[in-house]
Amino acid sequence: MAEIGKTRAGIAALVMALVVGWAPAAAGQDGDGYAESDFLSRVRRLTIEGKRAGEGYYRPDGRMIVFQSERDPDNPFYQIYTLDLETGDLRRISPGHGKTTCAFFQPGSSLIMYASTQHDPESKALQAEELAFRESGQERRYAWDYDPEMEIYTFDRDTGAYDRLTNVRGYDAEGSYSPDGEWIVYTSMRDAYNRDLPAEEQKQLELDPSYFAEIYIMRADGSEQRRLTDVAGYDGGPFFSADGAKIVWRRFDEAGLIADVWLMNPDGSDQTQVTDFNSMSWAPYVHPSGDYIFFASNKLGFTNFEVYIVDAAGAKEPVRITHTDGFDGLPVPSPDGQTLSWTSSRAGGDGAQIFLARWDHAKALEALAAAPARGAGNE
Amino acid sequence: MLATLGFAPAVAVGQQSPAQPHVEALAADALDGRLTGSAGARGAADYIVSQLGAIGAQPLPGRFDFRLPFEFTAGVNDAGTSIAFGEAAWRESEEVQALSFSDSARVESEVVFAGYGLVVPESQDFGYDSYATLDVTDKIVVVLRYFPEDVDQELRGILSRYSGLRYKAMAARQRGAKALVVLTGPRSPNAGLTVPMTFDTAISGSGIAAASVSGTVGDALFEHVPDRTVEEMQAELDSGNPHVAGFAIDSVTLTLDVSVTREQHTGYNVAGYLPPTGAPVASDAKPYVLLGAHYDHLGHGLQGNSLARESERGEVHNGADDNASGVAAVLEAGRALADVERGRGVLLAFWSGEELGLLGSASFVDTEPVPMAEISAYLNFDMVGRARDNRLALQAVGSSPNWEGLIERANVPVGFNVQIQSDPYLPTDVMSFNGAEVPSLNFFTGSHEDYHRPSDDPAGINYEDLDRVVRLGTIIARNIANQESPLEFVRVEQVEQQGQRASLRAFTGTIPDYTAEVEGMLLGGVIEGGPAAEGGLLDGDVIVEFAGQTITNIYDYTYALDAIKVDEPITVVFIRDGEKHEIVMTPTARR
Repeated sequence: MAEIGKTRAGIAALVMALVVGWAPAAAGQDGDGYAESDFLSRVRRLTIEGKRAGEGYYRPDGRMIVFQSERDPDNPFYQIYTLDLETGDLRRISPGHGKTTCAFFQPGSSLIMYASTQHDPESKALQAEELAFRESGQERRYAWDYDPEMEIYTFDRDTGAYDRLTNVRGYDAEGSYSPDGEWIVYTSMRDAYNRDLPAEEQKQLELDPSYFAEIYIMRADGSEQRRLTDVAGYDGGPFFSADGAKIVWRRFDEAGLIADVWLMNPDGSDQTQVTDFNSMSWAPYVHPSGDYIFFASNKLGFTNFEVYIVDAAGAKEPVRITHTDGFDGLPVPSPDGQTLSWTSSRAGGDGAQIFLARWDHAKALEALAAAPARGAGNE
Repeated sequence: MLATLGFAPAVAVGQQSPAQPHVEALAADALDGRLTGSAGARGAADYIVSQLGAIGAQPLPGRFDFRLPFEFTAGVNDAGTSIAFGEAAWRESEEVQALSFSDSARVESEVVFAGYGLVVPESQDFGYDSYATLDVTDKIVVVLRYFPEDVDQELRGILSRYSGLRYKAMAARQRGAKALVVLTGPRSPNAGLTVPMTFDTAISGSGIAAASVSGTVGDALFEHVPDRTVEEMQAELDSGNPHVAGFAIDSVTLTLDVSVTREQHTGYNVAGYLPPTGAPVASDAKPYVLLGAHYDHLGHGLQGNSLARESERGEVHNGADDNASGVAAVLEAGRALADVERGRGVLLAFWSGEELGLLGSASFVDTEPVPMAEISAYLNFDMVGRARDNRLALQAVGSSPNWEGLIERANVPVGFNVQIQSDPYLPTDVMSFNGAEVPSLNFFTGSHEDYHRPSDDPAGINYEDLDRVVRLGTIIARNIANQESPLEFVRVEQVEQQGQRASLRAFTGTIPDYTAEVEGMLLGGVIEGGPAAEGGLLDGDVIVEFAGQTITNIYDYTYALDAIKVDEPITVVFIRDGEKHEIVMTPTARR
């Protein structure tokens, strides 16, 4: 669930791509005849406070959303918040220090899972260092650092108790629950730290640790951790489908340049590529109907990420949903499939925020049915 | 599905909006456009007073009447201005007319011609001072209107900002001149005409006698200048060369007798009070929350700020959106707030004189019927009845670091696509309260093609969304009334000097959509028959290039406007339906 737009590897790769002339085709891709308003109505900005916010995931009853936001003046890193969609009540559920990301409600309980460095004794020093850097007036390109201290936690909204579920060196994050609440599928870079790396891989680790990221699964209490993928390059951002039968995730190539959407069974079998979109196609999420998958891609330009949908079998070309310059990504449908939450830079300023809109499911099905067969539009 | 609850309308379908009767009552022809000081405005005040009574509001603490009178200048007239030199004298208004900000005075003195009378501050990296080589102490200064005609675009952008008549009068006075005479040169728009007395600059005097004269008077004066006509002199100055100097006209003594009368009238703010329901907070915790909207409008639009087109000139300007909508919002928010727990008292204020220059709110801030230091926040509603595409602009957010959080939480159940704008220097009553260090927030649904026209009628109001504005305002006000500490005020630096915009003389007929967050300048409308409409621009177009300058926001656009020239075609590049287009349009003169 880490944003590609903020990955070091992603930026480096894209800059390279521009230099060598891999120009994303803008013309011809936009001509499917749909406008944003065909699929999305009553677009609204949800989060307002703070520098940036993103990754808004619904509670299974649809009444609450959990998200990450940089809004605490004392902490320059994301913290995790819940927002009650009926009352507007806001609550920070992470402890306030450290870096956090990628939260998710456990179905049927008061637990929220998220990734955090809150145990790291260095975390407050790192906050102070980042604040001092920003105070100095310097700006760095927003970068996600895959902190090896990142571990998966739960927070109990009833008791206020924190529980650490992973305890292995290497970034553990990007987790989400199975619909029955019994399993957590997540991303880990532990493979870079649990063995002696050959020189070439050591270099790779220094350049871009996300190369070592693989999909793992564990029980909701943190037991039975096991690996599901074994392909070089960043495998990340896994989510279960609403019926629990499939896991959707994104798989990067080794260079960190191209990503595509994949599906597999929860035991890791039957890994199937859904998109072949020749771009950074990531942040997939299956619509509750199971008919199609939301994802984000920069098909139309370096920093212009847009939200797309693709049929679950990947038989058709994706259909473009958003039509706004800048970043539109991390699409998440509400549990009833009627509303879309996504992260967008459309409000201006230097950070993205979470937006909501009514989602036209019937129109989406119609557009997918009319889409050309996969590959038909390509050379 | 509860996630969509936030989208539910406040009122069931088919039921009338509670705001609608207010809008229809205030925007009725019977109230005659609610011009400040008029019978129509008094009728509007009567309506508001009766509604405050119905809500259960009281007059402000220590008062017995909801009405708060204030004195204001209702108009300015030339009461007989004359000019004489040599053998000749003129007194007709076609030949000599007081400038609206002039003092009344009779001045007899020697004459100095000071070119365009321009002084550009040194900070502009361009030295231009019409007075550099002149001694004008106790003299009468004669200057040309506008600024050099033949300079390039960049220089136009600079000079135009310092060419307003009030600014020129100030420059002359600061150099010791006794009077200013303005002549519109033969090479300029409105050549040879006296300057109409506009009300917007007439609120107060300028400490100097000032009048405009006709081409006839100018020519007569230049007969005392050897070897030069007005036109030849202007041609020299029009190159923009800062070394072309003015000169004393030694051979004449000029008598200027300026007489202006300013009519003083009485306007009425209306204000009600909902006391706290429990134990009130301490006075150092700022025990009041203020909600306000101006209720005055333009009458028949004869005061100089109407945008009525030729065929509708002089008709009643009903002002349904501007600002019967805001009044309705404050009344309905007040009704809702009357029924909830309130740790702070709620003030409901209705300003008059807004259209004449924020007069009512300025008077309230000056006279402090409630101490400014005890007001924790001000919520202003000005034009909130024309929401489109679920958009609502919330402006002046920079006035407090607390606004973003308050707006975020309150908007969750209401669901507007809010556009957050920081700048508190807005042409509405927020300006008065921001100046008094009260954290302020302005609700605004955007400009439109009926803005300041007789067609701003109740039929154009989006009541469903007006009701949602009321809900949002109510929740924010309630949360402020009940939070422990008052809001923190932050003074936002003002980016550009206001007031110099009076120098703007090119008319394009574009209506910017101030609520938009787009790369470029989104048009909320175009004035029918104006240059933009003639050129083919439409409501919804996004201007990205204007007269060779790239436009990324409204500020770029206003700067670009400074640099264009009347009657000189310019190219405009704009986006329509995702496609780039280009048109040519020709700005006309604004008198």
